[in-house]
Amino acid sequence: MPLVLLVGLLAWSAWSDDPMPRADLTVVERAEVNTLDPARISWNHDIRVSRALYEGLLVPDVTSADLALVPGAASSMPEVSDGGRVYVFRVREDARWSDGSAVTAGDFVYAWRRAILPDSRADYAEMFMPIRGVSAFRAVREAQLAAYASGGDRGAAGWAAADGLYGEALRAFEGMVGIEALDDRAIRVELERPLPYFLEFVSFPAYFPLPKRVVSSYESIDGATGEVRWGVGWTKPPVFVGNGAFRLERWRFRRDMRLERNEYYHSPGRVGVGSLSVLNIADGNAMVTAFATGAVDWTTDVLVPYRAEMLAARRAFMEEHAGEVSRLRSLGLDEVEIVRRLPDDARAHIHEFPSFGTFFLNLNCSATTDGGRPNPLADARVRRALALSVDKAEVVRDIRRTSERVAGSLVPPGSITGYDPPGGLGFDPERSRAELVSAGYPGGVGLPELELLFRKDAGHDLVAQALKRNWERHLGVRVRLAQVDSRVFSDRVRGGRYMISTASWFGDYGDPTTFLDLSRSTSNNNDRNYTNPSYDAMMDAAGLLEGSDRMSALAGAERVIVERDLPLIPVFHYTQVYLFNAHRVRGLTTHPRQTQMLPALTVSERAGGGVRGGER
Amino acid sequence: MTGLVIRRLVQLPVILLAIYTATLSLAWLVPGSPVDKPEGRRPSAAVIESLERRYHLDRFDRFYGSYLWRASGARWAAERAGLVERADGGEPSPVFDLGPSLQYPDRTVNEIVGDALPVSVTLGAAALVIALVIGVTAGVVGAWKPGSWWDAATLGVALVGISLPAFVTGAVLILAFGVWLGWFPVGGWGTLGQMVLPAVTLSLPFAAYIARLTRMGMIEQMTSDHVRTARAKGLPERTVLLKHAMKNAMVPVISYMGPAAAHAMTGSFVVERVFRVPGLGEHFVSAVLGKDLFLIMGVVLVYSTMLVLFNLASDVFCRWVDPRFA
Repeated sequence: MPLVLLVGLLAWSAWSDDPMPRADLTVVERAEVNTLDPARISWNHDIRVSRALYEGLLVPDVTSADLALVPGAASSMPEVSDGGRVYVFRVREDARWSDGSAVTAGDFVYAWRRAILPDSRADYAEMFMPIRGVSAFRAVREAQLAAYASGGDRGAAGWAAADGLYGEALRAFEGMVGIEALDDRAIRVELERPLPYFLEFVSFPAYFPLPKRVVSSYESIDGATGEVRWGVGWTKPPVFVGNGAFRLERWRFRRDMRLERNEYYHSPGRVGVGSLSVLNIADGNAMVTAFATGAVDWTTDVLVPYRAEMLAARRAFMEEHAGEVSRLRSLGLDEVEIVRRLPDDARAHIHEFPSFGTFFLNLNCSATTDGGRPNPLADARVRRALALSVDKAEVVRDIRRTSERVAGSLVPPGSITGYDPPGGLGFDPERSRAELVSAGYPGGVGLPELELLFRKDAGHDLVAQALKRNWERHLGVRVRLAQVDSRVFSDRVRGGRYMISTASWFGDYGDPTTFLDLSRSTSNNNDRNYTNPSYDAMMDAAGLLEGSDRMSALAGAERVIVERDLPLIPVFHYTQVYLFNAHRVRGLTTHPRQTQMLPALTVSERAGGGVRGGER
Repeated sequence: MTGLVIRRLVQLPVILLAIYTATLSLAWLVPGSPVDKPEGRRPSAAVIESLERRYHLDRFDRFYGSYLWRASGARWAAERAGLVERADGGEPSPVFDLGPSLQYPDRTVNEIVGDALPVSVTLGAAALVIALVIGVTAGVVGAWKPGSWWDAATLGVALVGISLPAFVTGAVLILAFGVWLGWFPVGGWGTLGQMVLPAVTLSLPFAAYIARLTRMGMIEQMTSDHVRTARAKGLPERTVLLKHAMKNAMVPVISYMGPAAAHAMTGSFVVERVFRVPGLGEHFVSAVLGKDLFLIMGVVLVYSTMLVLFNLASDVFCRWVDPRFA
C-alpha cells in the first residue's frame, strides 16, 4: 500500500512537471535572478540574463578586443551634435518585441521616464542624471508627493487627486527633461554637459526599452501616497515581452529559466543557439558535479574549496604542452584559443580571466570611531604605513592561490582602453615604519589596538589573518580580527562603526569613474568617510577634459587615493573563474570587464550527442 | 475525539499569533535595513527611507499590525464585505496575503510559497514512504531473531542512518549513483529519476528511527500473551509475526509519523541544497540571511501551521488505532 502511494505520488508530480527537451546550451548561475525589471536590475547575473531578453540601443561587441559598443536596437551609431551634448538615436525599422509588435521610440522614452520618476525607486536612477532637467524634474515630483502625503488619507477623492498629480508630473517631464521622441523611430537626448562615457550608460540595462503597452497596464495609483506603482506580473511568462534575441519561455523560480530564440529578432545571424536553459545552482559542489556529468555547458562561477587545486591541475596540463602553448601564445592567441588548439582534456575545462573588480581594505578616515574615541587612522601617515606593510603578493600566492593580480590601484589595469592606472604603493616595510614614526607612533608605541572587520562566509578569514600578521610583524601594532555576520558587517561599515574592513567593488561601465567616484566626498558609497575637496575638484576638472587628457587627469586623481591619502588599500584584482569546454563552447570574451552576451554563445554537439536528450 | 480536534483548531490561531509575535520581534532585531543591499552599490538614503515607509518597515507596531491585517485574511474579509477598497488597481488580493518579497521584487511571497511548498511536501512525503518501507522491514527482520547477525546488521545500519548528516549521505549517493554508476541525474527536480536520490537521502534518518521503534515494539509483542497464544494455536510464524505482533507494534511508529511528517516536509533544507531541489527550506535560510521580513514571516507561518496540523493528525490517528490513548 505505501509503495502504491509512493509510485502514484512521484508519477503525479513528474507528470505535472512538464519536462522540456534539453536546451541547446545550459548555463549555470549561482544566484536566482532577482528581477527582470530594467529599473531594478543591478546584480551581475540579472544583467547577464537581461542582455539576452532585452536589447538596448547599443550593445557591447564581445568579438572586439575592447568591448566596443555597436548598434543593437538602433539602426546606427547616434548622431552627436552640440559638442557632445545632444544625441539622436534611431531605432531599427525591423526592431520587434517578442510578441511581434514594433519597438518604437516611445517604448524607450516610457522606460526611461519610468526609471527617472522617483516613484519607481530605480537602482540606477543616477545613470539618467546627466540628462538635462532630470534632477530638477525629480525634485519637482518629490515635492509633489511630499505635499500630497502630508495631506492625510483622502479616500476615493485622494485617488483622483493623485491621478491628476501624475498627469501633471508627466506634463512637467515633457517640459523639463531632455528626452524626446522625435517620431516613431528617433529619440533625441540632451545632456546637461558633454559626458564622454554617456553611451556606456545607454548600453546598460537601465536604458533598455519596455513594451509600453504591456507595462503601462500594470500601472496603478496609490491613493495613500499619491505614487504610481507597477504590479509585478509583467516580468514573468506568459506576460513577459522583451526585444532581445531570446524570449522567455518559462521561469521556474529558483530552478531554471528557459529561453527560446525570439523569432521576431531582427538579426537571426547574431544568435548562436536556438534555446538556452539558465539553471540556478546555489551549492558550489552541486555546480561542479553538474558540469562534470555533462548536464551543463557553462558555469559562471566556481566557488568550491578545491578551486585552487582545479586551477593547479589546469596549470599542470598546460605545463605538459608547454612548447605548443608558448608557440600559440607568440601568435597572439588568448588563453581560450590556446586551449582550443590543445587536445581536449577535462583539466583544461576550468578557465580564469581577469575581471572588473578589486578587493581592497576600507580605512575609516573620520576623526573619531565608534564611541567617540579619537581615530588614529584619521592620519594619512598611519594609513600609508598600513598600506606599505601589506605583502599583497603573499596573499595572492599563498592564500588565494589563483592567478589574481596584486593591486596597486583600484581600477584593474587593462580593463579600460586608454586608462593607465597609477602603480600605487608597493610592499616596503622600512618605509612603512618610517611613516609610523613620523605620525608619532614609533614601533607602534602609543597606537591603540586596530580592529579589522570582515564578513563571515566570504572566505576572507585567511586573508585577514595574513594582514594581521603583516601589520603586527612590520609595524608592531596590535590587531584584533572581528568576523561578523554579513548583515552586521554591512550595517557597521555603512554606519562608519569600524576601523579597517574588507571591501570589494566591481565596475559597471567602461570608464574609470565607475571606480573613482567611490572616493568623492558626496558618494553614496563612500564608506570610508573620506572627504578631500581637492580630490573632488580634480575629478570635476577631469570631467571638463576629453580623450587622453581626461584619462591622465583621472589617473592623477587616482594617484591621490592610492599613493598619498590611502582611504583604501587595494590588495588584489579579482579573477572570474568559469567552467566550460573550449572545444565545444565559443563566444565568451576574455576581456577584463567580463561582459558576456548569451546570444553570442555557440555550442557544438557533444560527442555522442543526444544521449542525455531526455533530461533537462 | 471531536472535542480534541475542535480544541486544537481553536488553539491554532493563538499558537500562530504567539509564533508570529516572537519571530517578528527577533527578525526585527537583525541589523540593517531590509530594503538595503548587503553588498555592492547601495540605493540612496532617500530611496531606502521611502521604501521603508511604503512597507511600514520604519515602525515595528505599524508593520506588526499591517502584516497581521493582510496575512490573517482579515483584509480579504473586509474587502469582501465592502468595508475597505481594493488596493492595487482592482486586482483581488489573496485570502492570506503574505506580502511582497523584498529580495525578489518580481514576486510575492504567496507565489514563492505556492511554488516551493508542493515540492517540499512531495519530497517529504516520498521520503516518509521510503522510510516506512525500509524502517518497518528492517525492524521486523531485526525483531524476528533478536541478538542474531541479522539483528546486529539492521541495528548497525540504523545507527549509521541516524548519525550521518544529510550532506554526507547525499554527497555519497550522488558520487555513487550519479557520477560513477550514472543511474540517476545528480540534481534538479521534475523527473522521477531526479526525485529518487534526494528522497532516499532525506528518508534515511527517519528510516533508522522507524526501524528501532518497530524492533522494540515487535520484541515487546513477541513475548506477550496473545502472540504466545497464536503460536500455541500452531499458526505459521509468518502469520504470527506480520499479523498478530506487528499490528500492535505499529502504535509507536504511527505516533512518530506526525512529527516525522512535519519534520520531513519542513526540515529538508540540506537535502534541497545538495540536490538543488527548489523547495521551501532554501527560502527560509536565504530570507533570514537577507532579512527579507515578508518571506521570513510567510515561511514561518506556513511551517508552523503545518507542524500544528500534522501533530493533530497523528494524535487523531493514534487514538483511532489504540483507544487507550487519552
